[in-house]
Parts: sequence; C-alpha cells; structure tokens
Amino acid sequence: MSDIRFEGWLHRSGTGGVYQDSAGNVGIASTQPKTSLDIQNGAFQVGPAGICTVTTVKSTNIVNSTQLSHRNVIRNGHMQIIQRGSPLTVNANIARGRCAADGWEISSDTNGTAVFSTSKSTDTPNGFGSSLKLDVTTADTSIASDVGTRLLQRFEGQDLQAFKKGSSDALQWTLSFHVKSPKTGTHCIELLDIDNGRSVSATYTVSQADTWQYVTNTFPADTTGALDNDNAQSFIIIWWLAAGSNFSSGTLNTTWNTRVEANRAVGQVNVTDSTDNNFYITGCQLEVGSEATPFEHRTFGEELAHCQRYFFNVTGNNGQRTNIPAFANSSTDCRAMVSFPTPMRAVPTFSGSATNMVFDSADDSATFLCSALQQGGYLSNDSPHGMLIEVSTSSMTAGQSGVLEFRANSGELNFSAEL
Amino acid sequence: MAWSQTKTYKLCNSISTGELCSVMKDNGNGRFLSIPLDEENTDYQEYLAWVAEGNTAEAAD
Repeated sequence: MSDIRFEGWLHRSGTGGVYQDSAGNVGIASTQPKTSLDIQNGAFQVGPAGICTVTTVKSTNIVNSTQLSHRNVIRNGHMQIIQRGSPLTVNANIARGRCAADGWEISSDTNGTAVFSTSKSTDTPNGFGSSLKLDVTTADTSIASDVGTRLLQRFEGQDLQAFKKGSSDALQWTLSFHVKSPKTGTHCIELLDIDNGRSVSATYTVSQADTWQYVTNTFPADTTGALDNDNAQSFIIIWWLAAGSNFSSGTLNTTWNTRVEANRAVGQVNVTDSTDNNFYITGCQLEVGSEATPFEHRTFGEELAHCQRYFFNVTGNNGQRTNIPAFANSSTDCRAMVSFPTPMRAVPTFSGSATNMVFDSADDSATFLCSALQQGGYLSNDSPHGMLIEVSTSSMTAGQSGVLEFRANSGELNFSAEL
Repeated sequence: MAWSQTKTYKLCNSISTGELCSVMKDNGNGRFLSIPLDEENTDYQEYLAWVAEGNTAEAAD
C-alpha cells in the first residue's frame, strides 16, 4: 500500500471539517485552531513544543516517563506536619533553624540579625489546608555582606536518583509552589548539589505584594556530578529571603556550574527588612521533567511517617503516660525502650524538656527532668528503629516494670536524625 | 549531671554498662542534646568537626 497524502484542505470559518490557518495551525472541527493541532476547540491540542493538552483522558494503558505517584520529592510540601509545635521562633543567625513545619529550616550566617516566628497558617490558596508563615519579628534592614537568609529543605541522595544527575541522560528539575511575599520584585530560588559543589539558580518575580501567586520554574538537567546513593545529605533546595553582597554581587548562575557564592542570589529583595513582613509558602513540589504537574496531595499519615524518618517526638502534659515502657534495672537505674514509629535516617540525637516526669510503676521513682534522660544504646545503625534511654533516679524497686509518665505540662522527648 | 560551664561537649557513659555511648551538648537553654556515636548523625558530625579544630570534650563522670 502506498503512502497517502491529503492535500485537499478545506478552508472555512465554521466549526466543521479540517482547517489550516495562515500560521500553519491545523484545526479539526474547530472554529480557529490555536495550536499546531486543535481538535474541537481545545478539547485536544498539540502545542508547538509537542505538549499535548487533553480535556479528559480515558485509557486502558498509560506508559509514562513521569511517574504517576510520588512525583514530589519534597516532604511536607503542603506544610501540614508540625511535630515541633507552632509557632516556633527561629533566629537567622544559626546554621539550622528548624521551622514549625517539619523538614523546613531557615539558615543564614552568624551576622544575620533577623528573627522569625514560624507557624502553620490557614492563610492559603484554594486547595490547601495550611501554609508555612514566616513572620519577621526582628527586622534586618541592612544586610551584611556575608548574610544569606534562606528557607530550605535538605535531601538524601538516594531519594533523588530518578533525576539521573551526572549521567548522559540526566533529566530536568521542575519546581512549583504557591507563595505570598510582602515584597515585590525579584526573588531567587536555587538547587544545590552538596556532593559535587555545584548549583543552579533562577528567579521569580512578585508583582503584587501580599498576594498568593503560583510559581513554576524548570531547572536544566545536569550531566555532571552524580548524587551519592545513600542516606547522607546530597542536595538542598533554597528559597532566598535576603542576600548580602557576598551572594549577590556577580551574575546569576542559571546553568549548573561549580558553586560561586557571588552568583547565587543576584537581585534578591530583602524580605526581612520590616517587622510588618509576613512571608507565606505552600504547595512546594520538585519533580522530574519539564512540566509542573498539579501538587501531589499525599495523606497526612503518609507525610507524617516520611517526616518521622528525620524527627519524632513524644509530648504530653502532667499525668499523661508516654507509652514508653521502662523497668527498674536497679533501685536507682531506670531504663526505657523507645520504639520509633518509622525507622529513622540515622541514630537520632535525643533531647528532653526541662520538665518533670517519673517512672510510673508499683513503686514510682522520684521525679526527674525529661532532660536528665540520656541515651543508653540503640538497636542498629542501619535504619535505627529504637533506642534505649536511661536515667539515674531513686525510690524504685529493682525488677519492676512500668511506663514513663509526664509530671508537668508541656513535656517533650525529642529524637532528631535531621540532615 | 555535673557540668563544667567551660566546655560545650561532655562524654557520657551508659548508666548501666559504664561504657562510652554518647556525647552530651549543652544548648545553653536548659536543653541538653544526647548525641549518639554515629557518623551519619549530623550533630555527631558537628562534634567531630569541633574536635578536629583542636577542642576536647569534658571527660565522662
């Protein structure tokens, strides 16, 4: 059978037939084709870049290069999980200032003077239940040269292998998010490859202050520098909030290159210049490919479990038991076994609040501070799933079992394996 | 636990076994971090960097 070429184009202004306009766009049953191929006035469109837009897809078999679930590598991108509580104060002059929302931190430099009250907010765009609010409570009106204040999230390299970074078929990175900034003008975002010392930056423009806007940006693929396939920190995604000249005096680095400090945040406005400023963000998604897909709403439980890989705490008020079983190893040595709800990234750091608790047993121990508990050993370095904590106290009877119990309000036992 | 105000870190033995099992860090706000001897733990990495700068933790009780 020989090839057949249809050359009898039907030129008409109605909605039927096949129609080609002067730009070469072809419409089928369309009044005026708006893309390279337009069927039924936009019901099915193929754009100039080969992007297909379809109103509804019904299929018995889909083969996708972009995965249908777990596209979003950012955890807690919708800011629902707040295990540390909300609000939470963060000083910009510490290396890892944990925000109220799990997985998010503010980092700057020792000379940064801004202070934020971070909280889970109900001020959101439609379709989201929460956002992260950064309320500037101490302003930094004159940014020192070495101050780079940024909101960020850190990643394990093993969670980013799908981007094929460092290979000949490396893939693009598309970031999308909703933001409400108090400042108009240029804001910088950045991807940072820790393993190979490389970075790429981009900007988005806020045209109207204190107004939600949806931002998408596709970063180029990087064929240089593979990310380690392990549980250590390999990668950081950054939203800049303020940038001193050390970070902004060069030319913005919009392709993957060896990191040059001066090229990281060129043009960044100062979001921290007034205590009137509130910066909101939610719906953060980083995914493989050139197109931003709708935000992937994972369940609260699924997102919580993901966050508990990095941080887990037990909280309670006076008289509430922790469900952490313990026993009196002697009359003065109390040992408790904590089981983590999900295996953690690494053996966690333990810290307790300066509030009272007891070993609740047939013969209760004397009260002791949660902060007096210390590590006594852990079960495994390979995805740790539990830890022994112990304390020296008194009034116990050796051999009795029981449970740790808070004897003051706002008690906390924290386990942190953050990156 | 007894704590010298001149040190940031203090080595810590297990109460029951007496063996070194963690490093305590005074956060200065009534909070103490009990840091495991795990090189994948970022607090322990920070401690090792502090030691590499020539500092020495307070000995365990």
